[in-house]
Amino acid sequence: MPDALTLTDAALKIEALSVAYPSRGGWLQALDNVSLAIPPGGVLGLVGESGSGKSTVVLALLGLLGPAAKITAQRLSYGGHDLLREAPTLRGRRIGVVFQDTTAALNPALTIGSQLVEPMRLHLGTEPRAAWQRGTDLLAELGVPRPAQVMKSYAHQLSGGMKQRVGIATALASEPDLLLLDEPTTALDVTIEAQILSLLDELRVRRNLSMLLVSHNLGIVDRLCDRVSVLYAGRLAESGTTRDVLHRPRHPYTKGLLAALPRPDRPHAGRLAPIPGGLPDLTRPDPGCNFRPRCAFAVDGCEKPQALRGELHEVSCHRVDEIADQEWPVEPAPVATGKTARKPLPLLEAEGLSARFGGGGWLARMLGKSTGVLAVDQVSLSINTGEVVGLVGESGCGKSTLGRLMLRLLPARNGTLNFDGGPVEPEASRDFRRRAQVVFQNSGTSLNPRQTVGMILGRAVRWFDMARGPAVATEVDRLLDLVRLPRAYAARYPHQLSGGEKQRIGIARALASRPDFLVCDEAVSALDVSVQAAVLNLLRDLRDELGVAYLFISHDIGVIAHIADRIAVMYQGTIVEEGPVDDVLHPPYHPYTELLLSSVPLIGRDRREPVAPPATGTPAASEGCKFAARCPRKLGPVCDTLAPPLQQAGPGHAIRCHIPLPELAAVPHWLGSPA
Amino acid sequence: MPIAAFVLKRLAGLVGVLLGMSLLIFGIVHLLPGNVAYAILGEFATPAAVAQLELKLGLKDPLPLQYWHWLDGMLHGDFGLSIVMNKPAAALIVEALGRSALLAGFAFLIVAAGGISLGLYAATHRGQTSDRVLTLAQFGLLAIPEFFWAIVCVLVFASWLNLLPATGYAPISEGIGSWAAHLVLPVLVLSFGLVAHVSRLTRSSMIEVLDSRYVLAARARGFAERRVLWRHALPNALLPAITVLAIDAGLLIGGIVVIETVFAYPGLGRLLVFAIERHDLPLLQVGMMVVTAIYALANFVAEVLYAVLNPRIRVGGAAA
Repeated sequence: MPDALTLTDAALKIEALSVAYPSRGGWLQALDNVSLAIPPGGVLGLVGESGSGKSTVVLALLGLLGPAAKITAQRLSYGGHDLLREAPTLRGRRIGVVFQDTTAALNPALTIGSQLVEPMRLHLGTEPRAAWQRGTDLLAELGVPRPAQVMKSYAHQLSGGMKQRVGIATALASEPDLLLLDEPTTALDVTIEAQILSLLDELRVRRNLSMLLVSHNLGIVDRLCDRVSVLYAGRLAESGTTRDVLHRPRHPYTKGLLAALPRPDRPHAGRLAPIPGGLPDLTRPDPGCNFRPRCAFAVDGCEKPQALRGELHEVSCHRVDEIADQEWPVEPAPVATGKTARKPLPLLEAEGLSARFGGGGWLARMLGKSTGVLAVDQVSLSINTGEVVGLVGESGCGKSTLGRLMLRLLPARNGTLNFDGGPVEPEASRDFRRRAQVVFQNSGTSLNPRQTVGMILGRAVRWFDMARGPAVATEVDRLLDLVRLPRAYAARYPHQLSGGEKQRIGIARALASRPDFLVCDEAVSALDVSVQAAVLNLLRDLRDELGVAYLFISHDIGVIAHIADRIAVMYQGTIVEEGPVDDVLHPPYHPYTELLLSSVPLIGRDRREPVAPPATGTPAASEGCKFAARCPRKLGPVCDTLAPPLQQAGPGHAIRCHIPLPELAAVPHWLGSPA
Repeated sequence: MPIAAFVLKRLAGLVGVLLGMSLLIFGIVHLLPGNVAYAILGEFATPAAVAQLELKLGLKDPLPLQYWHWLDGMLHGDFGLSIVMNKPAAALIVEALGRSALLAGFAFLIVAAGGISLGLYAATHRGQTSDRVLTLAQFGLLAIPEFFWAIVCVLVFASWLNLLPATGYAPISEGIGSWAAHLVLPVLVLSFGLVAHVSRLTRSSMIEVLDSRYVLAARARGFAERRVLWRHALPNALLPAITVLAIDAGLLIGGIVVIETVFAYPGLGRLLVFAIERHDLPLLQVGMMVVTAIYALANFVAEVLYAVLNPRIRVGGAAA
């Protein structure tokens, strides 16, 4: 623990901060009476769904809300300085910021070096040459390989993880003692995320930094923070130590958030508990509890103003003691229709599918000098009727490409595809198109804004000849029933729907042709957890009701563990491990699976370090294992030269690795429940 | 892609465009009604004399051969004769082009300086009264054609205030004052529309950049607003403006027919109009070729400039 006496002046204090913006509907109350405090060297997590006002807090501290915002606060101070007046002179000097999506936060026209040197030159008066050296050292300290070369590069030449490290470096360059982190790892793969989190943890100790971590990801907050504050629609719902808030939540909203979270350490955990409804209208703030309309525990008396109560663990709910032992209720399952007990038969079988992208122009292709990327390399995968196969892997591993190959939406270079006993030709038949459908990540963008929901669904129904004339409307009603939306929604336009509702329409449209197979490509990734839980429940129910099989593509292992029967782990175009959920999530692991699982930030996991992969080398272009360059358990040259064998670790559980199974099994169980 | 390969590729494209345009120009000119021999000999020429001249000028040759002779001549520096003035077309064009370049050069300076600075001013005063007034004025300049402004300017400055000469051109040898006075009105009117265009463009790209994450990040790093504007926002905002300016330079030199006609300014535009009116086909062909070449060259410069100024194109690929 940092010594509180030496740095008493470096504490952040926010008391009764309110922020309002002018909007079309009147003043929008973005923050309402929010109080937070960070002791020197402390890390506070600020969590809540999108629109809860988390980023507004960050911008208010920096004095960057713009002239239109109306800010009031009893106190907004940092180290004895009044931030309402002095923010412009403190930001960038004693307060550093790291933004989400550093791709956009780094200037494309300036070199990394010049962006890194600038704060030192301006705020610390460092000499140019010394500043350049310090910048190079800083990059090295943050684990950037070849820092001298990176200093001379531009942002577009760096990978996402490197850019985030550079982003942190620019914030640290002027040696601040408070770091504001606004969703610092949201756009990153879990393995990179784990590295950045370890780095932040390390920096905090080494430099005695105070941090404010703004995130929607409860796992990383648990990993990094001492204290957590939960924000809902501009008001604080709960505040306390991380252990208290995330392990013994007391406010209904926090309980709901945790119950809605799919967790990889609890596969098949039955149904998730979504929070119904959406954010209230912030232009008309509710004087009473603003979570009341969505709250499962709401009673008379909730319409009265709720103040934060308690000492170390503050909660703004008058029923906090009554409901202390109650969990957020799980959505009831629909009445079973009896279709579940079908005998699983192979539905879709892919054999040796490959796809290559890029590869020069037509001339290079004609000369046989194609240099493209092998996005999918000889993948075989089969899916049974009514089965959910989860496909996980980092971005760029070929998950989405494989999904499209299995729908024949992309031409395969070689390999075969069988569906329901017959081959699917490269020019897929109309029947296959009808029976195999897809749901994308942002269904909103694939809905025509000029058509009503009824027209959108009706068109899909007619296109596949599922109904004609007046029967189309009946069919649209059936689809809306299926995705649990009121039938009146047929008259709405896409802009009148929330994110979760748009995603339901996307699913309804895919179901219009009564398919047997659905590819869900990151279908819930853009949704807030409370909404995501509802859509995941829906997809699960639909499988049970209709017997649809899914290929469920996601980077989120929690989601996959929750919904899948079997998991396939993909790395650089190859499936490295495949098997039933419980087998894949337990040792023996493929070293890559182990790396992924050890990187997932889990609530309640002791803060042990994830498996550290060596610095990325050049991927083996030869016949060897594709993971060899990153593998922490590489055996030796054999991994580079010889294609790894497919080892059977159990019934239906296969691992593609040279390491003998007993050795693969002798590792910790990464998802094991905390002691 | 290495920058040299990029430039070479564009250069090859430039040659292709010029060849294609030469074919098009030759075709169009030969589709025009009228006969060069009649144009030279006058309308009372005997058919025999016409036939003899046609033979001598090669007008009886098949068209592809005529085209080849023309192209081959140009490649060897022979641009043919103006039949009306009986002078080498090249000399006429170079003289007129010089005067046009004078107009275009001054106008370009005004467009670049005025357009960019007005755009920046408007972007940093977004939504304020000054921005709205500027926007209105710019739309006025864009919507009303330039010959209208030309006439208004002549009426105000020449007829009414009697400050400047209404039309014409005076060589610099007749005194710098008179030379400059003849240039003021055409340059001014020529820049009106383009200033409006460039400043609108600069304004919108600057606004986009000011709303970007990296400008927010620069402010969050505690840099002074002036530094944020000039060092972090401006270089990115100027990219589209600079390429448009390069294209405008081509437009200015090649396309000022209207202004030169209204102000009776003896530049390339007027020379072309003269060639059309008098059926001086050799002069017309070469004049059009020069205009095309300038325009294509300006486009080429715009593309190369964009690549050189944009690090994402200049230094492609991954570094680490």
